[in-house]
Amino acid sequence: MKNRLRVLRAELAWSQAELAAKLGVSRQTVNAIETGKYDPSLPLAFSLARTFKRQIEEIFEAEGSLV
Amino acid sequence: MTEQTPSPNPTEAPIDPLSTHPASPFLRTEAPEPVAFASPPNLVQQVPVSATWVTYRTQIEFGLAMLAYLMVLVGSVVVVQANPGAGWRYYVVVLPVAPAAFVVWLFLRALARLDERQKRIQMQAFGFALGSTALITFGYGFLEGAGLPHLNWTYVLPLIALLYGLGAAIFTWRYR
Repeated sequence: MKNRLRVLRAELAWSQAELAAKLGVSRQTVNAIETGKYDPSLPLAFSLARTFKRQIEEIFEAEGSLV
Repeated sequence: MTEQTPSPNPTEAPIDPLSTHPASPFLRTEAPEPVAFASPPNLVQQVPVSATWVTYRTQIEFGLAMLAYLMVLVGSVVVVQANPGAGWRYYVVVLPVAPAAFVVWLFLRALARLDERQKRIQMQAFGFALGSTALITFGYGFLEGAGLPHLNWTYVLPLIALLYGLGAAIFTWRYR
């Protein structure tokens, strides 16, 4: 799943560690989400959206057809 | 005749402060200038909590608990070997279970504190360790049937631990 996490984080000049602390996860998890190696759970995706004050669809984009 | 100015009354003359005379040993000192920098830090209060303790707290606690387990284990074995016929030897023999239970509690607590990606890695590592151990023990069981020597069952737990560590390393690397 593609995401704009790195861009959004850069806009706010947050480090991965700072974002991880806001989300309550490890820095490695933030890195894995950014690189697309790990897709977050729905609760974590909502936490991300709330942290960046955006809709989930503005952060994540599904690859290919969802149906 | 010139008139001489009357000498001033010494009692009315202003008194020179002792410090104004060049030869005076009393020096007027000015109030010290306020320092332009903060006081030196109080090293006793500002020593940060050890980064090693913060980062590796779980590992240190786990290591200490394992050390306690090994100490109690060795102690109980020594005591029971010195008193092979004592009626209380059964109680002494099972004493290492207490620190071992503490190790298990620490392990479960550490698992509960992981985030969702780390929990997934642990689950995959457990699956890898379980499946690999099953394959290895089954395989060796067949080999025992063909004549290889019987191995003690206590080798199974270290094997699980080894494969679990290997699995955790593999699946952690996959998410990097």
